[in-house]
Amino acid sequence: MRDFLNVAALEAEGRSALRRHILRLADSKRLMGIRYSDWNLGAPTVETGIAMSSMTQDEWGHARLLYAMLKELDVDPMEIEHDRPADGYANIRSVDEPFPDWAATVAGIVIVDGALSTAIAAFSRGSFEPAQSRCAKMVLEEEFHVSMGAAWYRRLAASSDEAKALLRQATDRFLPDALAWLGTEDEASRLMLDAGVTDSGPDLVVAFKDAVRAVLASGGVDVDAVQPAEGWDAARGRGPGQPDEDTVERARGDRNRALLVE
Amino acid sequence: MLEITYDVFARKNRGDMLSHIGYVDALDDETAKVYAWTTYSEENWFEMCVVPRSEIIPVNLTEGPFARARGAAS
Repeated sequence: MRDFLNVAALEAEGRSALRRHILRLADSKRLMGIRYSDWNLGAPTVETGIAMSSMTQDEWGHARLLYAMLKELDVDPMEIEHDRPADGYANIRSVDEPFPDWAATVAGIVIVDGALSTAIAAFSRGSFEPAQSRCAKMVLEEEFHVSMGAAWYRRLAASSDEAKALLRQATDRFLPDALAWLGTEDEASRLMLDAGVTDSGPDLVVAFKDAVRAVLASGGVDVDAVQPAEGWDAARGRGPGQPDEDTVERARGDRNRALLVE
Repeated sequence: MLEITYDVFARKNRGDMLSHIGYVDALDDETAKVYAWTTYSEENWFEMCVVPRSEIIPVNLTEGPFARARGAAS
């Protein structure tokens, strides 16, 4: 166990980098939950739909805990959660838009959720005290997501040509984003590494590849041959673009704004 | 879709009898664990187990779901 980070002693650049780091994780989890919620009904079996519902709750619960960590930086989570425009979201690019089919959802569980889990595990081992105490349970809950994704990925990879093609299409779309999102070595990431908050980008990529190599190989994908996506928005710590308006309205709770009582 | 039926057993407290609480249809052992845990989440279970229905050996009945699953597997 390393010493805790003294947040109060951070310079402005360090505070900004920590804020970005938390938002990258929190926004990704919130939008991942929305993508999962789209399959609470309409998943291939009733049991699968129930599991997706549970995973939705996990992701939203994790997002809530992560947003609350912003209080350590004197940032109001309420404003962050309910009042940001789409171009302020720091989520991994793969969840900007809905997963178009079940095969893409399965690829999303393995790759996008897998990348998130790698990042959360590193955060839980780092020097930021709230992450040490709150992220360990997230890592445990994510083990169910890994089991679900791996089993379905292997099943689809061994099924019809159409399913295999859809799975490959989604994999080819998500994997470069995940590698770029995890592997960044920009200035803010270096500050977080120096502060002991998380692991280095290359180390995160190695951990992620080790976690998904075998399951992706079942679909004929060599994770070591894939290059990270190009284009980077250093202010948000993600690839270019932003979530669509419908997604952001759902994330912010716009349609229930009149009922907000916090 | 080729799915396997797993029976789900659980107990609420240490020392309780392990009870049959239902079943799930799953792709494999790992998804059976996920489906059982998420489907039967109404209690804070102390222990939960899943068993492929075809592995359950009927003792006295020659008809019913367990006998059918056993017969289909053999």
